[in-house]
Amino acid sequence: MEGFSGKLVGSALPITPDECKIVHDAAIRVLQEGGVRCDDDRAAMMFEAVGCTLENGRQLVKIPEKVVMQALKTCPGSFALHGRNDPTKDCSIGTGEVHFCTVTGRYIDDIRTGERRKVTRQDAIDGTLMADALENVHGLYKPVMWLFDEEMICNSQILTTEWMKHTNKPGTWVYNTGAEHEVSDLIRMWQIAAGGEDEMRARPHMLGHVVVNPPRVIDVHYTDWLIGFCDSGTPLSIESALMGGATGPATRAGMLVQCMVEIYALVVQAQSYKPGHPLAFCSFNPAMDMRTGLWACGTPEYGINGGGIAAMAKHHGIPVVGFGMSDSCEFDQQTAYEKALKNYNYALAGLSWIIDLGGTAGFNLVSWPEMVLENEMAAYIGEYLKGIEIDEERMAVDTILKVGPLPGSYMKEKHTRNWFRKEFYMPTLSNKEFFESWERGHVELQEKAKTKALDILDNHTSPVAPEIQQELDEYLAHCLKRDLG
Amino acid sequence: MAIEIDEAYFDALAETVIDGEDEECVKLVNDGLAAGVDPLEAVEKGLAKGINQVGVDFGAGVIFLPELAMAADTMKTGAAILDEKIRESGSRRMSHGTIVIGTIKGDIHDIGKSVVAAVLQANGYNVVDIGIDVDIDTFIQALKDNEADVLGMSTLLTLPLMTMGEVIDKLKEVGMRDKIKVIVGGCPVTQEFADEIGADAVGFDAQDAVVKLDGLMGVNRVHATAG
Repeated sequence: MEGFSGKLVGSALPITPDECKIVHDAAIRVLQEGGVRCDDDRAAMMFEAVGCTLENGRQLVKIPEKVVMQALKTCPGSFALHGRNDPTKDCSIGTGEVHFCTVTGRYIDDIRTGERRKVTRQDAIDGTLMADALENVHGLYKPVMWLFDEEMICNSQILTTEWMKHTNKPGTWVYNTGAEHEVSDLIRMWQIAAGGEDEMRARPHMLGHVVVNPPRVIDVHYTDWLIGFCDSGTPLSIESALMGGATGPATRAGMLVQCMVEIYALVVQAQSYKPGHPLAFCSFNPAMDMRTGLWACGTPEYGINGGGIAAMAKHHGIPVVGFGMSDSCEFDQQTAYEKALKNYNYALAGLSWIIDLGGTAGFNLVSWPEMVLENEMAAYIGEYLKGIEIDEERMAVDTILKVGPLPGSYMKEKHTRNWFRKEFYMPTLSNKEFFESWERGHVELQEKAKTKALDILDNHTSPVAPEIQQELDEYLAHCLKRDLG
Repeated sequence: MAIEIDEAYFDALAETVIDGEDEECVKLVNDGLAAGVDPLEAVEKGLAKGINQVGVDFGAGVIFLPELAMAADTMKTGAAILDEKIRESGSRRMSHGTIVIGTIKGDIHDIGKSVVAAVLQANGYNVVDIGIDVDIDTFIQALKDNEADVLGMSTLLTLPLMTMGEVIDKLKEVGMRDKIKVIVGGCPVTQEFADEIGADAVGFDAQDAVVKLDGLMGVNRVHATAG
């Protein structure tokens, strides 16, 4: 799907190009002097192969700057996340387009009962259909975090089956349970959904997250995923996932330096394993909430650090993506302002793929009416990104000279008719009524969103071909038989 | 010159805990021992007074987690020296109970468990934090070695949940289940799951862990509400 674009994308970054170089040098110093820990000899061999030094029984990897720079040089400047069997759903990453993606949660505010409860398999289906139907949702993260009504052992496989069966939009995957067959099963399911192994390699549709365990540890499970993603042609999103004040420094600059240390290490690992493999830097860098110890994703420092990573990505010509989210445990004003400000900041910084719509409370809570509302928020942000286009036709000097001074009106002018739909935003849900009319009687915004969500759930059907759905079901049956007997 | 063992000494000892000053705490403890302080008194009037104040301040939102965690560490450092002297004298320091706490095998998430450990310590429990990725036998051995009253297990992931149940089964197998209370916690842990594996309680956050543990251990106090 075509994302939002405009002259403001990438226009607001929290550090200057000169400061990017300073941060880069600081990160390189850490990689050269302190290195990263690596408990997995497969990863150690990847680092060793490109000239890194292994110390402490091959567990400490020191990475010279020239190795980092060589790895960065082999990364493509852009790539695409494709619609499955549907080119109209293709999303371009790293080319100046901003795409919005759903987020996940463990609980849901049930749209029909109003009850807050744990998510189920049916919610995975509903969340996928919601995302499929909404025009400003360009991609999906897991529609729900886990399926509480299904067995733990094959949970990711069941979730992925329902997800792939109900949308062709591209998606994002982050390691879920660590189950024995998770990597190979999910990749096989993604290949089935794409129409085959070669089809997925030619038109990858998932963005695969690989994460460092901060501070500075290359994780064994994520190396499993890195290998799986690279072998299947799945582009990578690489992130540090540090938490300022706990697993990272308690300064914004310090967080950024450590993020870059960990991101550079993963770039080197990935490019050693498969030179030229597409990847994006990813922002998910909360500070620790100093009262609860929880990650704080709705804070200004979280959003601004995302801008910092975007600046570093721009400095190196690498695409950048990121997680948004709010900390509020309710869909309230706090959710609204935290999300709107952060996502606008992300879009201005040039993030290509923002994972945020439909959930709050840091991966804990989802709501389909909220996804409808945030679908509208995404459109607002998209309008802002256009900025003001300056050209003869838009400056409208001839029309201005024709109409004024009073008496005169632009309302019946051809120029107005030609341009207002392109230049003015027409919201579908937001309140634009006369105050007195609204006072006499109105439908609350949340109620409008609920009505629209119910309409989608009642009427929207899966665009996925029946034969692909059947093949996914068959593969899931194989997984269940293998693991559960 | 030997220092005076008086109220000012105990207050200064408490201050080192409140400020999280390990080195100053060790110095004061050693100076006190050299001057003949009763080690039990040094814990109760000095270190424990400090950590109790930290608990109150944290509950009131005056201080934050880094200060709490540093205070807990200082308390532990000073208490380690004094505990040795207390044991030599044949007595034992009072606490609400000893808890062995760790992140279960298969999971290396440390922060949540460490926050709970610090908050429990600030609330008068003797906490033995045995780290992350802890296997069944290590939990059992640590419970024995520390003559613990409570086992605390944490995870952020779903698969290690199953191992929590296996630890409880092992406790039964070695005849320790009746003596050990079990509290579990972490993102995927629900009350239903805790019931299923036979845990005694779930701590949904650090303060909740204190409330639940107090209930299990029969500790009566007024609990502050979060925030």
